[in-house]
Amino acid sequence: MKQVVVTGLGAVSPYGAGVAEFWKGLAGGACAIRDLTLIETDGFRCRLAAEVPEPLGGSARRTRADRLAIAAAGEALADAGLGARDCAAAALVVGAVGGGMLEAEAWYWRTARAGTRPASLSALRAVLPSAHAETLGSRFGLGGPRHTVVTACSSGAVALAEASELIAAGVVDVALAGGVDAITRICFMGFNALKLLDPAPCRPFDRERRGMSIGEGAGFMVLETEARARARGARVYATLAGHGMTTDAFHVTAPEPEGDGMVRAMRAALVGGGITPAEVQYANAHGTGTPQNDRIEARALARVFGEGGLLVSSSKSMIGHTMAAAGSLEAIATVLALGHDLVPPTANLATPDPDVPFDCVPRTARATRLRCAISNSFGFGGQNVTLLFRRSVA
Amino acid sequence: MARVVITGVGVVSAAVSGDSAALGAFLAAPFAPAAGALGAGAVAALVDPGESRRLSRVCQFTIAAARLALRESGLDPAAGLGLVVGTEFGDLASTHAFADGFLARGPGGLSALLFPNTVMNTMVATTAIAVGARELALTLNAPTVAGELAVARATAAVASGRVPAVLAGGVDELDPVVEHELKRFGLDAERRAEGAAFLVLEPRVAAEARGAPVLGEISAAAWRALPARPWGVGRTCRAPAIEAVLEAAGARAADLGWIYASGSCDEARDRWEEQVLGAALGSAAPVSTLGRLLGRHAGLGVLRVAAGAWTARSGLLPATDGAARVERVRPGRGLVHGLARGGTHVALVVDAA
Repeated sequence: MKQVVVTGLGAVSPYGAGVAEFWKGLAGGACAIRDLTLIETDGFRCRLAAEVPEPLGGSARRTRADRLAIAAAGEALADAGLGARDCAAAALVVGAVGGGMLEAEAWYWRTARAGTRPASLSALRAVLPSAHAETLGSRFGLGGPRHTVVTACSSGAVALAEASELIAAGVVDVALAGGVDAITRICFMGFNALKLLDPAPCRPFDRERRGMSIGEGAGFMVLETEARARARGARVYATLAGHGMTTDAFHVTAPEPEGDGMVRAMRAALVGGGITPAEVQYANAHGTGTPQNDRIEARALARVFGEGGLLVSSSKSMIGHTMAAAGSLEAIATVLALGHDLVPPTANLATPDPDVPFDCVPRTARATRLRCAISNSFGFGGQNVTLLFRRSVA
Repeated sequence: MARVVITGVGVVSAAVSGDSAALGAFLAAPFAPAAGALGAGAVAALVDPGESRRLSRVCQFTIAAARLALRESGLDPAAGLGLVVGTEFGDLASTHAFADGFLARGPGGLSALLFPNTVMNTMVATTAIAVGARELALTLNAPTVAGELAVARATAAVASGRVPAVLAGGVDELDPVVEHELKRFGLDAERRAEGAAFLVLEPRVAAEARGAPVLGEISAAAWRALPARPWGVGRTCRAPAIEAVLEAAGARAADLGWIYASGSCDEARDRWEEQVLGAALGSAAPVSTLGRLLGRHAGLGVLRVAAGAWTARSGLLPATDGAARVERVRPGRGLVHGLARGGTHVALVVDAA
């Protein structure tokens, strides 16, 4: 199997456009969860979210999610230095959930409230999650294998794992992969209905945590074979050394209480990468801030790495849960942590939960030597993904 | 790479429901049902009362077809089972219902039970629970070709040893809002339908070792993208997915005895596919589509693979025009082909067992 390395990064996050802004916000422990302005919030228990600030760039005729995806994907391709010829053979794997739902909802709302059906073929065409891959494929001339994965909140991480498998199997030498989601009414209303949103900015791993905060964004990586990257003199951020994808087959919204599926995903990633638990210093946790998720994830981490066996932090404490983008944005955060020897903090963490037997890096980033790190993502339906990154050796 | 075989088929549709025998009987004497919608209670025998009460209609289709395929295969999911499902629209009916609750009654009208169904992986989530699939589980979203894309991705997972076996399928449900809007914009030329179809895929060695029925072999599978604007048809007649599968299968165009294409009565798309197939393969092999017979939905791409295995065994190919007749073709190896608006391109070489 071929070694897969990361050679390009692109991010649009609640801090704004660009990987530099993203890292500056994370490293500084800045919480970007604020009053939600994109959609109406009257009557809801939670009225907060982490929105991507204007300007978004790109044509206003495109969906918001497509604009996020184009900006992040374009940055990743430019960062990797890929040209048109490289792109013509590159795979594209996109993790998505909402698609163009924000715009489709606006159309549906108008239709329901006004009783008329405004002409909106574009809303109908762009509503599917696969619309992003079609947009990116056309925009950047990506001609290799193309597919869109929907695994709820782990979609972005699954996209990276899928691209890694295509490269490792020798189907392609290079791929663009990542996830994207814009805030939608359905998502905001749904998590409110489930009473999973904290009325205040989320506090993962805090004893007083009361739920998550939603967000939006896009994160993309260029992955390629190590041999190809070295041959063309590309900058190698890290090696995507292993990944694990498992399913709980337990409950549609609740994780399996012992974290068995999470454990299997983490162990599969370690085995795939030929890495022992003792060699991993940091876990970028799924860390949503819901009482149940954080407790079970901590239990699973302890089963794999031992209590206190590594540093753990949650990027969602700063950028919210960016849904299909979460797995890929947090993978980027993990890669940047390796590169900077700096673990981003868990913001808003004031009173550590005694049921979480880890140092969760409260409020301030931690400088420490890092060699290997994992990024966990877990989705509705018990869809568990772990990505294992190893520091690049020059 | 392991050789990948089909050991179970499950179909739930307006025209035919059952396993590979039911599908074969239908294909040997095909007819186009008057409607593409599944009747009430069509899957009642395949879902238990609790599932029937709790789960949405499209999730019930999915579980029913998955169970039929597993039953024919005799596979024990506890040995390690993955799940790959293609869908175009997911559970859109639940999404409408969820939104309508808010529009009618505000926040108090929202259903916490409906919300998870608005995420497109709900069919995978509920089916994984129903059948005990604990390995890789993917929902693939694509217009037109989601089913065959799911089979291609699952084939790769089995061939590489990534999972011991995979249930690969496709599912969609007719949605009144989508149908209304397609008609309003004059995009209703296609015959559309609903239902689900699944295949059990596993390594030939494993299937033979446990004495499973081997219904066909997927010799190669690939997917690529042809240049096209979103929702558009392209101009290029290159066929990289076909080139890839012929090379992987060690086959030439002349070796293909038949082709199942993704023709769907979308004239511009169908014309493009004809050009792509013609440029890659010439006119050597007879072509069929099942779109006129069964109507387009994500399960159809999976059905075409199952039908390909049947044609490889029987040497019979249903007529393309939806008429109730079959023609004789060379049995053995053939091609299942999919090309979507937007450019997603899928090819599989399917052979007899």
